[in-house]
Amino acid sequence: MRLDPLTRRRLARFREIRRGWYSLLLLLGLLALSGVAEFLVNDRAVVVRHEGSWHFPTWGPVELGAAYGLEGTAARTPVDYRALAQRFEAAGGDDFVLLPPVPWGPYGNDDENGILRARPPDPDRGHWLGTDTTGRDVLARLVYGFRTAVLFALAFTALTYFIGVAVGCVMGWFGGWVDLLLQRVIEIWSNVPFLYMVIIVFSVIPSTYSVGTRIAVLLLVMVLFSWTGLTYYMRTETYREKARDYTAAAVVIGAGTGRILFRHILPNTLATLVTFAPFTVVSAITAITALDFLGWGLPPPTPSIGELLRQGTANLTTAPWIVISAFVTLVTMLTLVTFIGEAVREAFDPRRFTLYR
Amino acid sequence: MPPPFRLLLLLLVPLLTVGCGGADDAPDPAASASLREAARAAREAHYANQPSLPPAVVEALERGELSQEALDARVAAGEFGKFFVTATPEAIPTELLWEDGSDLPEFASPDAKKGGTLFSAIDDFPRTLRRVGPDSNGSFRPFLLDDVVMGFAQRHPVVTEIVDSNFRYFPGIAREWALDRENRTVYVRIDPDARWSDGEPITVDDVFFMFYFYQSEWIRAPWYNNVYTRNYTRVTRYDELTFSLTLPEAKPDMLGRALGLEPLPEHFFDEFGEDFVERYQWRFVPTSGAYVVREEDVRKGRSITLTRNPDWWAQDRRFWRNRFNYDRIHFSVIRDTAKRFEAFRKGELDLFGLTLPEYWYDKLPDDDALVADGYVRKYVFYNERPRPTYGLWINQAQPLLDDRNVRVGIQHATHWQRVIDAYFRGDYGRMRTTADGYGAFTHPDLEPRPYDVDAALEAFARAGFTERDDDGILVDEAGRRLSFEITTGYEALKDVLTILREEALEAGVEFRIEVLDGTAAWKKIQEKQHDIAFVAFNVAPEMYPRYWETYHSVNAWDEPWLPDGSPNPARKAKAQTNNLQSIAIPELDGLIERYRASEDAEEMRALAFRMEEILREDASFVPGFTLPFYRVGAWRWLRWPEHFDVRLSAGPLEAFLGWIEPGAREETEAARAAGETFEPVVQAFEQYRTP
Repeated sequence: MRLDPLTRRRLARFREIRRGWYSLLLLLGLLALSGVAEFLVNDRAVVVRHEGSWHFPTWGPVELGAAYGLEGTAARTPVDYRALAQRFEAAGGDDFVLLPPVPWGPYGNDDENGILRARPPDPDRGHWLGTDTTGRDVLARLVYGFRTAVLFALAFTALTYFIGVAVGCVMGWFGGWVDLLLQRVIEIWSNVPFLYMVIIVFSVIPSTYSVGTRIAVLLLVMVLFSWTGLTYYMRTETYREKARDYTAAAVVIGAGTGRILFRHILPNTLATLVTFAPFTVVSAITAITALDFLGWGLPPPTPSIGELLRQGTANLTTAPWIVISAFVTLVTMLTLVTFIGEAVREAFDPRRFTLYR
Repeated sequence: MPPPFRLLLLLLVPLLTVGCGGADDAPDPAASASLREAARAAREAHYANQPSLPPAVVEALERGELSQEALDARVAAGEFGKFFVTATPEAIPTELLWEDGSDLPEFASPDAKKGGTLFSAIDDFPRTLRRVGPDSNGSFRPFLLDDVVMGFAQRHPVVTEIVDSNFRYFPGIAREWALDRENRTVYVRIDPDARWSDGEPITVDDVFFMFYFYQSEWIRAPWYNNVYTRNYTRVTRYDELTFSLTLPEAKPDMLGRALGLEPLPEHFFDEFGEDFVERYQWRFVPTSGAYVVREEDVRKGRSITLTRNPDWWAQDRRFWRNRFNYDRIHFSVIRDTAKRFEAFRKGELDLFGLTLPEYWYDKLPDDDALVADGYVRKYVFYNERPRPTYGLWINQAQPLLDDRNVRVGIQHATHWQRVIDAYFRGDYGRMRTTADGYGAFTHPDLEPRPYDVDAALEAFARAGFTERDDDGILVDEAGRRLSFEITTGYEALKDVLTILREEALEAGVEFRIEVLDGTAAWKKIQEKQHDIAFVAFNVAPEMYPRYWETYHSVNAWDEPWLPDGSPNPARKAKAQTNNLQSIAIPELDGLIERYRASEDAEEMRALAFRMEEILREDASFVPGFTLPFYRVGAWRWLRWPEHFDVRLSAGPLEAFLGWIEPGAREETEAARAAGETFEPVVQAFEQYRTP
């Protein structure tokens, strides 16, 4: 891929800003890890060897106990791999179960002496960050909650950009009545209180929809009320670029509107767009966490950072590990994205690499 | 009269606030005189015209089988007698046996001392000071009405046995009463000393007014309109202080239906009219009870205070003395439970409910410094009263759930015992029937189906569900999955559902959890849109459970049966009723009708047991848990009698037996400052504990 020299210089500058660059690497690393979270944090085994055959239960269908020669009720219910591991170990033979480093899923309730309650970190039992108030593993819920939040935020950013950029460009390029009309529409639209709308819309979605669909609906609603902010910048940028000589030249040559917008104007507004992106990600993460914190986000028992924060604040003194884990994760996440954002902003700052120096 | 049962335990959240009406405007004397004149005329007209309608006629009117016009014509033709009747004292039968409950024991402690301010908290400011009408059914209502006013007589909260088909009563506003079961009439003599909190005497005028008020559509409370029209047929005045009430049927608890009523001060409602809801929004109704709300103590949105009436007429009467001891009870509005708890720990609140295990064991354990040093005391009080019906209500009108095998499977797949043992730490009990805690009226030996994966799988297999899909959920040959939605409005209890969900997955059934705002959930459930509902009906301490509301087929479907008695294929679910399971069983209908008509307690018991057996067989209610006690933490200056509370009590501010020990607050605070400690107190009161 060939990049134009300006972009290359910007990227080089970005790498020079160590804080942002390492933040990016770290965040990508975390994302990659959470992408394979099923192998690291899961109540399903990674590999099972049973009577000479190999099983890889991580992604496949739920296995029943009968597959491993269990009898009675256990044969007809989903396998408990932790129990299976102990059983194979006790039996001695060649059979073994390789469990993930954290052998807990985000849903299982683990009781302590028959009682479900928040339990402090206990590495021996595999609860590295303790459990929440119903005995679910905090680390597992954090990891899966983190993954949902980041993917959600990225999708959110992509979608708001798509709409915001398109509308902003149209306003700036056509100007006149189109601009005037759309601006009024945007003013009205952006005055609709976003959080209330999300709460209202989300409360009427029937829960017959799967969790995935519900997340998608939540995403759409949030996008629907968040794209307006970007249009202001895009509009002014397009106005500015439209007045430049190279645009006039393109028009004179006879380039179509589409070509001018996509080949000439958009690449030149990239600096603004890229600069705002990380902050949009931050606001998306904050929004979904806030919604979950208020109890209006993902349906229980879906793991989420907001839900953990909520539990944590309700149990500040009795179970501080919940709030600490959730808080540290959230702050780390937001800090990393903010560092990246700052570096991007600086790297793309026209005052340093402008052609009109 | 018991309230509309505070219907859903936690569903007391009215949607919108109603602003205060024009009642605060300075009244124009002429206008207000004409207003009073109009109110008086409307009242007199009602007294003169209100007919005494038989219940069958009222019910026909409700069902729409009889039009209002047709009824009016029949009333005009003089078919029915009058509801409000005036007679002479000579008309009182002479052979009546007058009672006054004087053989009953008192239940308050003679050690109680008056005085002091109790600091407590509420989670929402009351939206009105009215006792009826829109927004009045809030969490503050007990302090305006249920737990404070006297009534003609009250059910004795300790001696709960049934004598001659009636509970035992002790006198309140009434001095004595007599029951004429044959004529379905209760005679009452009002205590000549009885006064409203504004000093006016309580007379039969106030009894007449009570019926007029509750029968009026101006109060915008259809439940009251119905009860006060349908459940009473006549009120007769003999003199200033003596009246009788005639009821349509002589049900076993007919005495309670009459004596539980509380008259209303006619003189206070002298502007009663169409605009009642706005006009009386923030006016405190003079009460027969010990506590009043003074205008200057209503700080909207922030706090509200009850003040003891120092001239309360009943303060030295038996059964009423040594109760209602706090001079003032201050309620601050603190919405967040965690914050309320912190305020309690700081000593800003005097007491805090510790019923939830996480508070009792984790947040305020016995070895917590406050408890171990004796500053805060912990009490468990086991009570004995009808239990709210926590459980899963399966809607048979939904696909798959119409199959009894599926419902039986769900019964066996629902691990309530794990919830009770692990989450509630074994403190709560398993609900057994649909009506626990009614004493002799509760089925003695029915047991709920236990969690049993094999039994569940077997039942599902009978319904054709034998294979599991990739998620481990059972599917049948048509590809339908055993996946159901559980709807609830109890945000605080969502953990219960997540635990049930995990255990149910073992048996191949998926519960999708839908936690809605309380009002929204109740609306959805009442419209029968749910698969499975997790709710509870709160129940007043009545003598026998109700079945018609929840189990009769007319409350499940608009036209449940065809003329030949078979199910109507075109029937539609009936909204806004309490038959949450869409149960329609002809045999059960018959039993319910006999039960409703029965006047014999023994027969009703037998019918109730038979109905419970049918309901268990039907398997559409999964009994959940019961709370056999309440637990409370209190700073050591709060004291209670030796026996702590009465059998029927559900909370420490219900019978008002406690008091503040004079000087103990200062003593405690001084000791804390000096680092001195007291003997810790963690006490359990198990005298009413049932195994």
